[in-house]
Formats: sequence, structure tokens, C-alpha cells
Amino acid sequence: MSGVAQADEPIFGYIYTTDLLPQGKTEIEQWATEREGRSQGSFHLLQTRTELSYGLSDNLQISGYANLAWASVNHNTPSGETAPPEVFADYDADPDARFRQFRVESFSFEALYRFLSPYTDPVGAALYLEPSIGPRTRELEARLILQKNFLDDRLIFAFNTTLGYEWRYLQGDPSADPASDDFRDHWDKETDVNFGLAGSYRFVSNWSAGLELQNEREWADLNPFKSENRTNSAWYFGPTLHYANEHFFATGTILKQLPWAQDYANSGADSFTVHGITNADDFENYRFRLKLGYYF
Amino acid sequence: MRTSFYLLPIALLASGAVQATTYLTVDQAQAQMLPGATLTQDFRQLTPAQIAAIRKDSGQSPLNDQLKAWRASDGSWFIVDEVVGKHEFITFAVTIDGGGAVRRVEVLDYREAYGSQVREAAWLAQFVGKKRGAPLALGDDIKNISGATLSSKHISDGVRRLLSTYAIVLAPGATA
Repeated sequence: MSGVAQADEPIFGYIYTTDLLPQGKTEIEQWATEREGRSQGSFHLLQTRTELSYGLSDNLQISGYANLAWASVNHNTPSGETAPPEVFADYDADPDARFRQFRVESFSFEALYRFLSPYTDPVGAALYLEPSIGPRTRELEARLILQKNFLDDRLIFAFNTTLGYEWRYLQGDPSADPASDDFRDHWDKETDVNFGLAGSYRFVSNWSAGLELQNEREWADLNPFKSENRTNSAWYFGPTLHYANEHFFATGTILKQLPWAQDYANSGADSFTVHGITNADDFENYRFRLKLGYYF
Repeated sequence: MRTSFYLLPIALLASGAVQATTYLTVDQAQAQMLPGATLTQDFRQLTPAQIAAIRKDSGQSPLNDQLKAWRASDGSWFIVDEVVGKHEFITFAVTIDGGGAVRRVEVLDYREAYGSQVREAAWLAQFVGKKRGAPLALGDDIKNISGATLSSKHISDGVRRLLSTYAIVLAPGATA
């Protein structure tokens, strides 16, 4: 039923396509994502991923990632206090001083299986599962990928739905209700659901340009069907440029947060949303992502 | 020393730009595919009506409005054309006999990291004898190639398009 792979080549920065490595082929990929700016203060978060991928079969690819993070933030919340970004949420930060930190964020394993090919079936479709483990962090992410090609496969549209569960071991907050979990050290649980849509056109040989739209939604705890647990929703949109030749590729994407954010958990002066832009701990104004890869 | 790291991506881009693999030149392909025949260049400028007819007949639009064709002394035609590859165009040649059937297909240039199996004789032999109207579709009368779905699909589409082009533009009593 399904067709067989072309290279696992990310023509988008955030949205995945169904293209995989052929059986027995290997690829190395380096990502760097700079997350910049809040509605106030300063916010700089650099995350890198170093990936090694291998084609187990023409329709099944496995990958391993090492994920690193650097943060430098100061007075970055609407209240004016310094609060570390989500990947450093387990750190105790001085609310009146700059927070500057590096860490090994996590190690991830990914299995990506394609069951429909965009080249031989009406629509390409694939699923992936990615568990991650890091210091005081556990994550499990699943993604459905749909792809439709037009114009001799030069115009590509992709749609992703992602479900992610996150566990972070947080320090107790002495100011919290002594009866609550927040008062003592505990595993904080969160659910992320993302929807992404992107299109890209290969305008000359080797070069593609496109646009990506991403909606990221968060829930406290692990049940995304419980509306009272909703915490945040944010939208990102921006251009992506991709170059690839026989063995090398580069993809650059810039996303800007759109003023459509919602803070479901806090209102009034406590809200993290300023002029429609959320300043919650996993969001910022701009994202700059560069992916470089090499096929062996 | 630091500067050299900044230049690495540029060096990789540059190295990729010169990695194109030419397996056969046009002259070599003509000699192999039509040995002993005398070839006369007979390039044609496709009219909008011919392009529309080719698209309707084959389901594929020509990528170029110039048809690079040579007439052979034995009544065959030698055509060089391109199809879209994963990153760059794939150049291929088709010989069509006087009865409108494929005699041979060869890949001249292939510039992708994977999928060069489309050059293999056993796969290309599937096209021999095919005439206008044959499906030339992966999973139907043409086998897919593991690791080269896009390339094998586009070459199949390209051969189907050239069979229509032959019938519409080159064949005796061409229809457009």
C-alpha cells in the first residue's frame, strides 16, 4: 500500500513530513532554536538538538537526540519578576535578578512509521512516538503527520497533530497552599496538544520556500479533554526556507507569536497574556530555528 | 580558526553544487541506444495547443516548450528530456520506434543521494514496448523502487508524457 522513502529531509522547521530515510541509510542532523523576547524584560533561550537517524526499513525510521538548553532571562513576566523558561522550571530563580543557566535538557528516542506515501497514495500519512528523559524531566510525544503533494511533488502541504505528556519534578513553593502539591516537591504534569499546517514550494532546483502555522495548547495534568484544566493557547506563524543537495540540507524558519493567545488559568492582573501575546513559561515572541543535516 | 566554522555550511553548499553525476552524455546515449543509426537533430518548439494536448493525453505537462528530438535513419526517434527529482532535475533519454513503442530508456544525469537504482537496466526494461495509452503507473505496469519512489514515479510519468508527445508532435500524421 505504502510507497517507499525519499530522504528524511525536513523542508519545514516545525512541521514534519512523511519522508523517511531508505532502509539502511543514516543521517546526522543538528538543530538550533533561539527563542526570543517577551512582552517585558529580556528573554533568551537557546535549545539545540543533535540527531542521528537510521532507516530500519523503508517505512520505519528511528532516531536518537541529545537536547541541550541555555537560558538568560530577566524580569520576563508581566508582573516584572524573573521566571525561568519551562525547561528550567525546576530551578529556584531569584525573582529580582537575571537567571542564567545551561543544562543537558534530555535525551530522546523517536520511532517514525509511514503507512501511506504521498507519492503513491492520495495522501501521505505517518505516526511517530518520542519518549524523552532528562534531569527531573520525562516526556512522551506522539504525532500524526499528513502530507499532500501537488505540481510534480514540488508543492507540499503538511498537517501535524501532536499530543505530548510532560512530567517535571518541581521544588515546593512555600507560598502555596500547604494542602496542595505545589507546597512540596512534586512531579508536575502537563499535556500539550499542537496543530500545525505548512506549505512549501520548490521554486528552483534545490531551494524551497514556505510558510508554517502552529497552534500550541496546554493543559494542567494529563487529560486534554478536561476543559477546566486548560492553561494556555498560542499561535505562531512565519516563513521557512530550505536548501538541499545530494548529501546536505539546511532549513531556516522564523516564527512570530500572533496576538491570539489565551490564558485560561489566570485572569486580570495575574494573566500571562499581554496584548494577545502569552508570556507563560513555554512561550515567547519569536522563534528562530536552523536545521543542518548530512546524509551518509 | 573560528572563521572556518562559520564557512562550513557555505563549503558544504558549494561541494553539493558540483556533485552532479552524469552517467551518459547525449552523444554516448545516442551511440548506445541507437547503434549504427544516423541521427538528425529535429528540435521542435511546442505550441500552446500541443502542450495542452500532451497534458490532456498523458496527464503531465511538459517542463520545457522545446522538444529535444533527433530523427534516426531507421525511423526511430531519440528524445532527451527532464523530470523533477527530489532536489534537481533528472535527465533521461527515450528511443521510440516508428510504430510508437519504446525501444529503450536511459538515465543520463541523476543528482540525488538515494534512488540511483532507477538507472538499473532491469527496472528500465519495463518500459520497452510500451505505447501511448499504457498506464506507466507505479504499482500497475511499473514496479516501484525501494528508496526511490519519487524518482521512479516521475520517470514513469516522463516516459508516458513523451509517448504522448511522439503521437501528437512527431509521428507521421501527428494529431496536433
